[in-house]
Amino acid sequence: MAGVIVKGRFPRRRALQIVIANVLRYLFVGAARNWARNIGSMAPALGSMTVLLLMSGMVGLLGFALHNLEQVEASQASLLHVYMRDDAVPADVITLMNRLGHDSRVASVTYVSKADAFARAQRVPGLPQLAGASDSNPFPASLDVQVKNINDVAAINTLVKYNVVTDPVNPTSYDSGAYQRIQAVLLGAAVAGAAFLALLAFVAITVTINSVRAAIHSRRDEVTIMQLVGAPRWMVRGPFVVEGAITGGLAGVVAGLVTFGLTATGIAAGPVSFSQFAPGVTVTVAALTAAIVFATGLGLGSGSSLVSMRRHLES
Amino acid sequence: MPPIVEFKGVTRAYGSRVALDDVHLALAPGELTFLVGPSGAGKTTLLKLINREIRPSKGEVWVDGIAAHALKASRVAELRRRVGVVFQDYKLLPRLTAMENVAFALKVGDLRISDHEASDRALDALEAVGLGDRGDSFPHQLSGGQQQRVAIARAMVLQPPVLIADEPTGNLDLETAWQITDLLEDIAAFGIAVLVATHNVQIVTRLQRRVLTLVQGRLVRDQPAGAIGRMAWLASS
Repeated sequence: MAGVIVKGRFPRRRALQIVIANVLRYLFVGAARNWARNIGSMAPALGSMTVLLLMSGMVGLLGFALHNLEQVEASQASLLHVYMRDDAVPADVITLMNRLGHDSRVASVTYVSKADAFARAQRVPGLPQLAGASDSNPFPASLDVQVKNINDVAAINTLVKYNVVTDPVNPTSYDSGAYQRIQAVLLGAAVAGAAFLALLAFVAITVTINSVRAAIHSRRDEVTIMQLVGAPRWMVRGPFVVEGAITGGLAGVVAGLVTFGLTATGIAAGPVSFSQFAPGVTVTVAALTAAIVFATGLGLGSGSSLVSMRRHLES
Repeated sequence: MPPIVEFKGVTRAYGSRVALDDVHLALAPGELTFLVGPSGAGKTTLLKLINREIRPSKGEVWVDGIAAHALKASRVAELRRRVGVVFQDYKLLPRLTAMENVAFALKVGDLRISDHEASDRALDALEAVGLGDRGDSFPHQLSGGQQQRVAIARAMVLQPPVLIADEPTGNLDLETAWQITDLLEDIAAFGIAVLVATHNVQIVTRLQRRVLTLVQGRLVRDQPAGAIGRMAWLASS
């Protein structure tokens, strides 16, 4: 046999391959097999978690839309329209503009002429008819004052409303309670949504914990034998965590796909009306929400399993 | 020779009930010892202390140099790989064959063992207990004695220095019980400390091995091999 080189397998690498194969088999293959075998006992957990995650995804998107709406409202509320008298002297208007422009609380001041105001009104639904009903231009010239902090709008309003150039009948667009009312409504919606989700989460976690407990009891002998022959704790507990993660992950996939599908359908059906109904919610946002829902499902499932094992699986 | 199992003033209580009271004992490698006593005397509690299913309320339990009484939960597996356990009801997994049951213990006890090696060693272990030709049989296809042999093979496949058996012949007829006892003697002959909790007086008296007698949690008698007389605990059993 001269010239023949016998090449043995590298033993350390071989040992590592065996360890990895065994770990994968015990943690994932075994867990998947047991999950499929116990699908009946895991079905309630799967169902409740899917509902929870679906509701979470929809409430999350709604919350995102409401947040954007709040931002829009805050931006609009901090934009003060100072309406000019029709007979206002341009020099006085410039004086007021300069005064506001140098005020540290003001971000910007823009002069909007009567013609600009008319043109702007043409773009607002309903107002073109109103504008056309009159022979003359009914919209006043104004100064659009963007205030840096919404809390300073009242002070700026006080500063300008008695100015000589300001319309004495309808001096500004300031409405002291409007923004606070919107904030109150949004806060109420957020609290109600959070309470609803907390209730759903409690139900889903409880059901999952009980399902894992049932799985532990159905495999009590196997667990006992594993413990008695010296299986490390991770090997005994790991498959149950993976089973919980499978349940949560599957629920997350279903809920994520439904969330994404509903949102994408809504966007496709009417992009303009949808953006008005849910500002900022795009296909990308929907996809991101679906991914978050999936990750939440994984975490929820494995976390519930961990809690269940701490309670029901002694070392 | 230093003891492989040692109890130093071990007390174990369940609430107000004392199951084991100030027990001192030492088991040497290669020693077959019977643990006898009436029901509720504390035999199972004593066995559970050895493989750290429970902790002592007081005292020290040493197993193969490991302080079982002070062992962290994360290190219990290390101890249990050194203690083979056999039960009265065999505790075999019904959906696994005899060979798979034995290999299962090997594989969960040591991740470095490949399927092929586990199968080979499991078959060797089954061969050693006289079941080399029944590796493919499921537990329900085996008799009680054969199932107990599989359980012994599973307990011994990791080659632990200690074997504990809780009523291993309790579900078997006398003839089969003798076969199992012979097997336990053979195992002890290989230098393994074997501790057997039993009610079977015939086996204990005929084998003339060391006998520990527990009554109401107290170790009332420690009879050396060859000096087994009347079983006093029988009166209260």
